[in-house]
Amino acid sequence: MERHHITALCMLIVIAVVCTLAGREFLKMYEPDEIIPGPGVTKVDNLSSYSGDLAGTISDTKVYVLDSGKPGATALVLGGTHPNEPAGFMTAVVLTEHAFVREGRVIVIPQVCSSGFTCTDPLEGYPQSYSIQTKSKIRSFRFGARGSNPLTEWPDPLVFLQYPSGQQLSGNEVRNLNRSYPGRPDGTVTERVAYAVMQLIERENVDIAFDLHEAAPEIPIINAIVTHEKGKDAAASALFTLESENLQFALEMSPPNFHGLSHREWGDRSAVFPYLMETSNPIQGRLRGVTNEALVVQGIDRKYFEAAQIGSMRITYDLEGEPLARRVGRHLRGLQALLGAYMESTPEKRIVVDSVPEYEEILARGLGDFLH
Amino acid sequence: MPFELIILLSMLVVFALGVFLAKLPSGVALVLSAIVGALVAGEGFPLRHLVEGAFGYLDAMLIIATAMIFMKALEASGALGTLGHLLVKSLYRWPTLLFVFIALFVMFPGMLTGLSSACILTTGALVAPAMLAMRIPAPAVGSFIAMLAVYGMIAPPINIPVMIIGGGVDMPYIGFEKPLALASFPLALVAALYYRFRYVRKIHIDEVLSQLPSPVHAKHGIMLFAPLVLVVALMVAIRVVPQYVPDIGIPLIFLLGSLAGLFTGERMKFWTTARSAIRDAMPVMVILVGVGMFVQIMTLTGVRGFLAVGALNLPPAFLYVGISLLMPAFGSAYASASVIGVPLVYVFLGKDEIVVTSALSLIAGLGDLMPPPMLLCAFASQIVGEKNQFRILRQSIPLMVLSLIVAIAMIAFANSVAKMY
Repeated sequence: MERHHITALCMLIVIAVVCTLAGREFLKMYEPDEIIPGPGVTKVDNLSSYSGDLAGTISDTKVYVLDSGKPGATALVLGGTHPNEPAGFMTAVVLTEHAFVREGRVIVIPQVCSSGFTCTDPLEGYPQSYSIQTKSKIRSFRFGARGSNPLTEWPDPLVFLQYPSGQQLSGNEVRNLNRSYPGRPDGTVTERVAYAVMQLIERENVDIAFDLHEAAPEIPIINAIVTHEKGKDAAASALFTLESENLQFALEMSPPNFHGLSHREWGDRSAVFPYLMETSNPIQGRLRGVTNEALVVQGIDRKYFEAAQIGSMRITYDLEGEPLARRVGRHLRGLQALLGAYMESTPEKRIVVDSVPEYEEILARGLGDFLH
Repeated sequence: MPFELIILLSMLVVFALGVFLAKLPSGVALVLSAIVGALVAGEGFPLRHLVEGAFGYLDAMLIIATAMIFMKALEASGALGTLGHLLVKSLYRWPTLLFVFIALFVMFPGMLTGLSSACILTTGALVAPAMLAMRIPAPAVGSFIAMLAVYGMIAPPINIPVMIIGGGVDMPYIGFEKPLALASFPLALVAALYYRFRYVRKIHIDEVLSQLPSPVHAKHGIMLFAPLVLVVALMVAIRVVPQYVPDIGIPLIFLLGSLAGLFTGERMKFWTTARSAIRDAMPVMVILVGVGMFVQIMTLTGVRGFLAVGALNLPPAFLYVGISLLMPAFGSAYASASVIGVPLVYVFLGKDEIVVTSALSLIAGLGDLMPPPMLLCAFASQIVGEKNQFRILRQSIPLMVLSLIVAIAMIAFANSVAKMY
């Protein structure tokens, strides 16, 4: 055997060891998160019930129904549209494990982009999971990628042509669920998930729907409620309520020429009143410092502290940090305020959700107190 | 001294020692510097992060590998030499027109794909032999096609850095055609005239043609160019009529073009050609693996945020200068657009966002020329046979400075520029 053959053989052995060790780490992300249905959950279904192609794939996901059995409105709550925005996901988990619906019906999908929970975005240095101490144990949840797992529809095109608008977007946006509505049954995996959500909205006669997000602190649309034109009166009323409680939210209108977004396509293509909510999440930001699990949960980042002090751009970052508990609390309170405002505008369709932790309560007791 | 700066310096020192002292390939030095950065930051040996970072540019690596096979196949089939021969023979009487034509020709794949490397590896490689035959020094030829590759990436209709910035600020890719044209075509024209009048007085056609491979189109006819037509047609079709032609991906398009080359020109051994191409592309692909690990560790340890906040912290008087220095320093158009381009759009709120974003994409685009990866310089050096990539970078400095001036002027006067169209 010649010398370069020996070198090549050694390299192959090293690569095999590296792949095995790293592969074990990556495979851990395929272990599903534990979500324990609370007493309010009356039915657990799968998203594939609304688009059969998803059955048996990592893009299928649980749908939790909290039905009061009394007539009223139906609300849909989506968490995990972007799996790297944990407040949206955790808000949906708290609702699933803790809420009780007294009138009407609430449908919760905590991990709507479930394949995105099986990987993280390369070059971002994200942790694979984060932990929360509950009353009885430490629970670990996956921190995922912004879009679907590339393995489900690789490779990305260089340019993503949004269906059906034909709008051009950066190629990696092809895996962004919140650019893929209304979706299509024979499209990419992400478009099929979007299609299933649209089917659910239609078949379940959803009246009001929430898409829970987070954004980098430097993005102007933050701590905001984004609404379709038809939902703006209810949103304005909700904002008034929230401001009276010293919770500042900005009201943003859905841009009519930006297609594929939930608040645009749901509103244009169904009878639903769609709302998207954003909180400030430092780990998503481009200015963040050390990227680790503590940043997900505590939201304390020295670089954002410095950037906010500089003042050269608007940074929505509390100098004491943006902890996950507060971000979840904002989502829960915003959601309740919007449901209240919706009932005011359509009194014949009532929806009352109990056992949702108050904002101050979740700040004082911590997120873990509201998880099993 | 901030801890992030210590981490960054340790990474840069290891990189420099690896390249200049140990004479390691740049990619290997980047891998080592990433490992050292993680150790200094107290992250231990973060294997998962290193492997994840290594895959950060996987798609780009596939494009590079397949594009290189395609170019080697064109060369072996005789199409490459014949095209250069015909180009010079047709336009040698009008050198200025020839250079303008070459400039647009080189830019074309970048305009269509948004990839600067596609320009160098396809049309750039086609014109390089002809330009070398005109006795233009190799670093100058390399610089010419590298700069045009940047302008091709920036020119409409497809500009991926703008799309990346747009994705970060929720701005649709609408209305960018004119500002992007302004940020690219005049500069390309200047580049063409600069190299034309600096290096070419008169083209001695017989001498030039004697330096080029003999044309073989008489033997094979128009079919000789079928692989090139196939590749261009597929690239155009997936953009223009996406409802009829599925996007099969740039790597597969290049591979189909390469396979077509087996049947349309001189006989070649495909396996030997492909091996030779991959051997040539390997150093650049290794650099991309190393850059991916380097960026991942920079992000993990907070160095990326340290650089981004540093840019914002610049006094207003130095902001434009700082942007000009920092954005290209990311060494990659896409990384620069993503990390610093997005926050900068907010810094310049109040100015026309479309013009500002177009100009920022031009500054970010220059990052593809810069070390440590020096992607375009590395490609260009292989195409023109120049061993020292830094000579190509040095040759490009005047046009880079001009590009920065144009971009900064566009940002400073963004609202006035917006009123022009």
